[in-house]
Amino acid sequence: MATTTATEAAPRRFRASLASARLREAGWGYGFALVPIAIFGLFFIYPFGYALYISFFHWGILGKTSQGAGTFNYSQVIHDPVFRTALENIGEYTVVIVPLEMALGLLLALAVNQKVRGRNFFRSAFYFPSIASSVAIVTIILYIFSQNGLFNHALGFSTDWFGNASTVLWGIVGMNAWTTSGTVMLFYLAALQSIPDDVYEAAALDDTGAWRTFWKITFPLLRPAHFFCLVVFSIGALKLFDQSFLIGGPSGGPNYATMTPILYVYNQLVSNAAFGVAAAAGIVYTVILFGLTVVERLTVGRQEAA
Amino acid sequence: MTLQTSVASAEPYVPGRARSEIVRKLLLYGLFLLIAAIFFVPFLYTIITAFKTIPDSINVTFVPHPWTTSAWHTLWKNYDFPTYIKNSVFLAAVIVTCNLFLSALGGYAFARLRFPGRELLFLLVLGTLMVPDQLRLIPIFLMIVHWGLYGSFWGYIMINLVSAVNLFFMRQYFLTIPRDFEEAAKLDGAGYFKTFWRVMLPLALPAMAALTILQFQGTWNDFFWPLILFGQGNPSHYTVQLGLAELHFDYTSLWPEISAGAIIAILPVLAIFLAFQRFFVSGVVSAGVKG
Repeated sequence: MATTTATEAAPRRFRASLASARLREAGWGYGFALVPIAIFGLFFIYPFGYALYISFFHWGILGKTSQGAGTFNYSQVIHDPVFRTALENIGEYTVVIVPLEMALGLLLALAVNQKVRGRNFFRSAFYFPSIASSVAIVTIILYIFSQNGLFNHALGFSTDWFGNASTVLWGIVGMNAWTTSGTVMLFYLAALQSIPDDVYEAAALDDTGAWRTFWKITFPLLRPAHFFCLVVFSIGALKLFDQSFLIGGPSGGPNYATMTPILYVYNQLVSNAAFGVAAAAGIVYTVILFGLTVVERLTVGRQEAA
Repeated sequence: MTLQTSVASAEPYVPGRARSEIVRKLLLYGLFLLIAAIFFVPFLYTIITAFKTIPDSINVTFVPHPWTTSAWHTLWKNYDFPTYIKNSVFLAAVIVTCNLFLSALGGYAFARLRFPGRELLFLLVLGTLMVPDQLRLIPIFLMIVHWGLYGSFWGYIMINLVSAVNLFFMRQYFLTIPRDFEEAAKLDGAGYFKTFWRVMLPLALPAMAALTILQFQGTWNDFFWPLILFGQGNPSHYTVQLGLAELHFDYTSLWPEISAGAIIAILPVLAIFLAFQRFFVSGVVSAGVKG
């Protein structure tokens, strides 16, 4: 008899202690995650709604005026030729730089994936510009590409590459391709190293040449890396700010040649204290990017999934 | 392997070694050195210029004539680079420490502790990665101004206390640690915090090293948010990057000073990169691939 009561009581006590243990675990879970969640909520989720709110009001130097602005700020942005220029600039910039840095990064990755002595040194060397700050890179490049600088001197040019409205954006393309290709290289290198050797052994048995092996085997097998780099580095390119600001100032000079959407938002804030217009510009650009992402997913992404 | 082949290539007749293989290697090295030159020459040239006089800096020469450290004196005396360095180090130290602690804590909660709504909250964390800076710029600027934190470091520190990338990185690492360790700690009667602090954190040291390096680099190099939140015409609060930008905007042709400033801006990150390359590379790739 005594044994039956014992066996009946044990699961009940066990269940009760299990429930309290669950509760305790949940309590600690919330406790651990509380501060990060609060920070993400306050500085990422809340600003999302706050930006919308700001964009529907008129703002003066002293702060929000009481009257609502309706869609006034949005029509200001959409009809501003400078904003349009910013979109055109960033479009041209992204369309050129992303394939360029992917191609360069892939070439570097293929090079340092060769079995040669000192390849670790070269890997580090090629990655090096990626770790330097944007300000340092811009100042160094402006010096080297100044009218009487090293580059023009060595190659016999006399162009003021970063002072000229027709060349400055391409100068930024070249500069950023130079710094970013090392990062692209790391991703492609990781992908190359995950391709099993027997794939190449099979190709070698078939006496396939290096060129054909690359295009028929390596390049297609790198597809997930292509897709990944395309997405990650497009996002990076579309955020262009530091280099534009440092080279062209807050108004994206010369003649708006370096104006980008984020610089536009910044300039509306700093030069005009136009909070409503700035917030509206941020939202318009975000909507455009979101639309592009959806299109990208539906086209490239579907191909990738297939 | 590599050592053997290179020794072999020094000898004229090696059975099985094709001449074309040697030519290929030579071409490859030539290519490597050429690319490495493209990557290094700008930095090398900057170092040389930092020791030139201002008139000499527009001469395209690779030897300063005369050698001078006057650019460095200018940075120290006329510009307050010691303060800028102090500010940058302070911000990096505070932000790295907070990120280490909070992302480990949060990452552990999301990896191991079960609580209602965990998956939903985790989606929220990942969702923050999609909120772009152009959208956050104005609201955060206004929030910081309203709280009276504009022009001080604290607003900047607050928005950088923890990042979703770091939290995600720590969570992924905790997921790879076998549960046996925690169960052993539990049998010993350790509570949740003690298990986290004494057992899990030490096991996560490699991940924390990678996080430290990448976050240090991120904060040290950051230009955008310092410029917006405390950098406008506020030299006592300049970081190294802001000080260098000021130098660049005010005196476009002070090349020796600008070069010396650029070296200061790069050097700490370079030193850490050289010391911890392994963490750097694995950190960048895994943070990128998973994030």
